[in-house]
Amino acid sequence: MVVLSAARWVRSRLSDRFWRVQEVLKYARHFRGRKNRCYKLAVRSVRRAFVRSTKARREKKRFLRGLWITRIEAASLEHGLKYPAFISNLLKSQVELNRKVLADLAIYEPKTFKSLAALAQRRRQEGFLAALGDGKEPEGIFSRIVHHH
Amino acid sequence: VAKTSLTSPPWPEVKLPDPVEEAKYHAAEVVRKVNGLISAGRYGRLFAVVHFASKQWKITSEDLIMMDNVLEAECGDRIRMEKVLLVGADDFTLVGRPLLGKDLVRVEATVIEKTESWPKVNMRFWRRHNFQRKKIITNPQTVLRINTIEIYPCLS
Repeated sequence: MVVLSAARWVRSRLSDRFWRVQEVLKYARHFRGRKNRCYKLAVRSVRRAFVRSTKARREKKRFLRGLWITRIEAASLEHGLKYPAFISNLLKSQVELNRKVLADLAIYEPKTFKSLAALAQRRRQEGFLAALGDGKEPEGIFSRIVHHH
Repeated sequence: VAKTSLTSPPWPEVKLPDPVEEAKYHAAEVVRKVNGLISAGRYGRLFAVVHFASKQWKITSEDLIMMDNVLEAECGDRIRMEKVLLVGADDFTLVGRPLLGKDLVRVEATVIEKTESWPKVNMRFWRRHNFQRKKIITNPQTVLRINTIEIYPCLS
């Protein structure tokens, strides 16, 4: 008998269903409850986990920057400076260290951080002096002390 | 005239040292001392802050650095990092404004390996809209080993 096409009652069946299911379950093995065993629940949890990890990768940068700022603030307060004063005066003195490195220096190199704080403080005082000017009053202005002749 | 609450400003009076005298003191004392320490070799482990691959790193000798990009250098090539922002030892620190001179510091590194990162999953999903995209990303990475950090006594 010549068979030109496959018989119509033969359907193709999945033979690697186990491995397709394991591909998803392997990411769910450390979850809590039935979602680490049952495929239907695991698929949803794994999908949410992936989406959350992609979003968290963007949030991590913001979070770490806030952490660095907190640490720099704490270290500069130990030396008597507030964080905005410290950062702005460092930038005005053309020292372009970023917050990550400043936080690392504050933790592991306290003497270096102290010298940077002193630099920022000195630049701050110079800025104040430059803003105040001579200290004399402008001409033609009535001062509080009126001399009667 | 009697002193009132408004005779002097409320902030504390700060007298800064004279700039000419301070420049003289700086040139004579500080620079000479630091040059002396450097040329005598009286420093322990040096650390440096280097700007490399658009990031700043705090490095010492013999430590590993991993960058999340490709470097056009073969494995085993020696590299000199030129943008040094800060160099420090136990007793002194040299702060660059913003960079230190190339004749002052020398940071050498070797390329150790060039791999890809672990497969990170990038997934987007909108509920009730039958929309999900899954992409597996492997970034190229380069691992460098910092060999030495040297300083030369050419301050001025």
